[in-house]
Amino acid sequence: MAQQNTIAGGPLNVVGKRGPNIDAVERVTGRAKYTGDIDLPGMLVARVLRSTRPHANITGIDTSKAEAVPGVRAVITYKDAPKVMIFGSRQYALNDRVRFQGEAVAALAAVDAETADKAMKLIAVQYEPLPFVLDPEEALKPGAPQLFQDGNLEGQPRTLTRGDVEQGLRESDKVIERVYHCPTMWSGGMEPRACVAQWDGDHLTLWASTQAPFRVHGSLTAMFNVPDANVRVISSYVGGGFGTKSAPHTDEALAAMLARKARLPVKLQYTREEEILDSNTRFETRIYVRVGVKNDMTLHAMDVKAYINQGAYHTRLGGLGTQSTHMYKSPNLRTVQYRVHTNVPNTGPTRGVGDPQETFAIESAMDEAAIEMGWDPMEFRLKNIKRNGDPIARGASGTEDGRLVAQVLDKCIQEGASRIQWNRRNAVAGSPTGPMARGIGIACTERGGGAGLAGASVKVNLDGSAHVFFASTDIGQGSRTTLAMIASEVLGIPLSMFRTTAGDTEVAPYDGGSYGNRTLQGTGRAVEVAARACLQQILAAAGPVLNNAAPADLEIRDSVIRVTADPSRQVKLAEVMQRRGRSVSGDGATAALQTGIDVERTSGAHFVEVEVDKETGKVHILKYISAHDVGRPINVTIVENQIEGGTIQGLALTQGEEMRFDERTGSCLTGSFVDLKPPTALDFDPRVIEAVIVPNEGTTGPFGGKGLGENPCHPGMAAVANAIYNAIGVRLREVPFTRAKILRALNEPRPGASRTV
Amino acid sequence: MASEDRDKSELSVSRRAFLKGGAIATGALSAALIPAVGEAQLPDAVEPDPRHSNVALNVNGVAYRKDIPNHTTLLQFLREDLKLTGTKMGCDRLQCGACTVILNGRNVYSCTTLAVEVTGGEVLTVEGLAADDKLHPIQQAFIEHSGFQCGFCTPGQMMSTKVFLDRTPNPTEDQARLALSGNMCRCAAYKKILESVMAASRLMRA
Repeated sequence: MAQQNTIAGGPLNVVGKRGPNIDAVERVTGRAKYTGDIDLPGMLVARVLRSTRPHANITGIDTSKAEAVPGVRAVITYKDAPKVMIFGSRQYALNDRVRFQGEAVAALAAVDAETADKAMKLIAVQYEPLPFVLDPEEALKPGAPQLFQDGNLEGQPRTLTRGDVEQGLRESDKVIERVYHCPTMWSGGMEPRACVAQWDGDHLTLWASTQAPFRVHGSLTAMFNVPDANVRVISSYVGGGFGTKSAPHTDEALAAMLARKARLPVKLQYTREEEILDSNTRFETRIYVRVGVKNDMTLHAMDVKAYINQGAYHTRLGGLGTQSTHMYKSPNLRTVQYRVHTNVPNTGPTRGVGDPQETFAIESAMDEAAIEMGWDPMEFRLKNIKRNGDPIARGASGTEDGRLVAQVLDKCIQEGASRIQWNRRNAVAGSPTGPMARGIGIACTERGGGAGLAGASVKVNLDGSAHVFFASTDIGQGSRTTLAMIASEVLGIPLSMFRTTAGDTEVAPYDGGSYGNRTLQGTGRAVEVAARACLQQILAAAGPVLNNAAPADLEIRDSVIRVTADPSRQVKLAEVMQRRGRSVSGDGATAALQTGIDVERTSGAHFVEVEVDKETGKVHILKYISAHDVGRPINVTIVENQIEGGTIQGLALTQGEEMRFDERTGSCLTGSFVDLKPPTALDFDPRVIEAVIVPNEGTTGPFGGKGLGENPCHPGMAAVANAIYNAIGVRLREVPFTRAKILRALNEPRPGASRTV
Repeated sequence: MASEDRDKSELSVSRRAFLKGGAIATGALSAALIPAVGEAQLPDAVEPDPRHSNVALNVNGVAYRKDIPNHTTLLQFLREDLKLTGTKMGCDRLQCGACTVILNGRNVYSCTTLAVEVTGGEVLTVEGLAADDKLHPIQQAFIEHSGFQCGFCTPGQMMSTKVFLDRTPNPTEDQARLALSGNMCRCAAYKKILESVMAASRLMRA
């Protein structure tokens, strides 16, 4: 595929440059229409009545008074809901049993918000309370409240083994055993969930703030039992997703049901409180890790047991990432994941599936093992990371029948270490005296990208302008821009001549959506294929104008087609198109990007220097190096923006965003930004974050590009925990690292400070 | 519609009649949605309602006057009555800044500002930032430096930037961080936002 990374072997003209987003004007003028901005004639306002109980049967529900309110056009309860579950979930849009506080119980649509709010108060619900459970390990104990007939465990525990982990631990010279905990955490975007539903006969158009229009499409066609052609899902501008909008959700179904019953368009917009309570947020994990090492600095055994608190319903979405299985060579490995249903709200994969939680556990444990042995934690990692040619599993799990290629994690580590000046760290952890202590930490990460089915199409118009259509989405990662850049590079048409249509299931081929590092690498590859199909047609049409030159002898640049061997023979693209008299279209699709045994991954290494105020527990970030493999960057500005923003999102998990639940009532206690404390411009000085793009070229993505979005969010918790340890000799194994936790730990009597080398 | 005769606003749809309360007024709004139903039953004159106020606001240089319920927030007035949807609702609790607009030269959270309490005021929203077809230097800088990702908080970020730079033409980066600390960016594009603000200050001085 290497010959495809340049046009006819020439230099790249568009790819690899800096530059603004092609939709920037729309975004800075307020013209970009997000779902909540859509206004249709006669559109009704929807409201959702939510359960006040964490677990209950609904024994009665009286909507008659609400229905009698003038201006109310539709009220729905479980009696109206199709008995078809939301895709990827055990949840019905509405049911006669609720399993978390905040779950939808009824919904209504009225002519305006005041009427809807007034009518909502008139719906009477009778609950038969059931015992509830919030903790995933408690939920697996005998006698625990049961959410489902087949118990609280979702499927069989996900297990991956190689070698013999117990034997490996026995053979190890040192074994450390630790537990790391991440609570349920809020991970939503600035735009609360929103959708607008409109039926025309039995044809539904649904505008939704989703990352995955075709997943929503599949969920709705199944629910309403209509052909694929009868549902159109549009997700044009999305105000952030981070995974919470990557799965179909109840709101889309409720809006569609209300619109059908009312025979009018319906808008359902969540309040911030609803968004916090009822989106698919970052799941709680409690991860038990045993690491066995040999005296020669090799990792010999790793045993990982994880309890994942999936919340009430999701079935396929919980789970760790690949940090324990794909990053290090360990001859003996076992990971067991218990995906457990409890009465906390639905959770899901958020910026890195479960990778940040897993990275926190694995990269803390690696640090602890190195320090116990007196090794340099960075050298320990360099000694044990998988390198090119090493065996690796081809999927997220399974046997290691693949071979790692295009990996530069070693270079990420070396580049980061050089920039942070790794040798400045404290030789003895916690040795700084005085109230302010500085320390340096490291954490690595890796992930795949571009998985699943992707599609796109490209059209070149009669005047030589062009259009890219795709049904994954631009959720802020800049895919409108990067995908158009790929087509621009292939077609030799300037970027300024491109328009894009994002997230529309009716005009673009099937694509799984934007999640899991997949848009650039997967949809981008499909765009490249589609653009090449257009290019062939254009060059074929140009031949007759250029003395019947063969397409292989032609090249196109700046919308001018030339004979490569004699550039003076040329014709403008617009002229060729007008002679042709028909626009040119091309479709592209990719299924499995990786074939054969080659396995391409995307890696990164983070280094952070902190200063801990021992009197207040405040942690200051002094310097943060985020060194990432992105393959070949398509747009350098966008890559930097992704790394910088993702890094701060990872840091955010160290200071707040914990969702707390009342153990007596099951209620969420953190329903606002004041409780969750997502970072502002003052919480972390963005100037100390340095995004480093480590030179590389991938083997499967367009022009060697790799997926990136998830990775920068993975290492923050572990890197900061490791740096805090280096500064004050205190090991934090529970996020967030609140000042109270740090002060408490500092005041605990502990054996003499551990040594690092 | 008869009930809107007294409504001298430039807007075609009045929520006032409906929000008076009572079945007859509700019929009025239904009539707007399903034409010719209930219209004849409406009284020609309506008593003044203490729950409503006549609000006059100059928004982006255009004068608007309208009867609205007293509880209408400035954000609702802009988005729902004037259809200026560039200003966003992120939390509705003055906690995120997505709804920031400029009111009489100050940046305010429009989600928790009642329209009636600012009657007579001058409001600038993101739609009014560009003069005719020429982008404001702040918009140019946010484009050039990619001071956003998803763009949902961007209108608010830019309105706070304008108030800040109008008062502080030659700012330090720390001043800029403080000035924009009331505008959350969940994508955390804070580094590029800071670069955009500083670049905007240079453009505005030039």
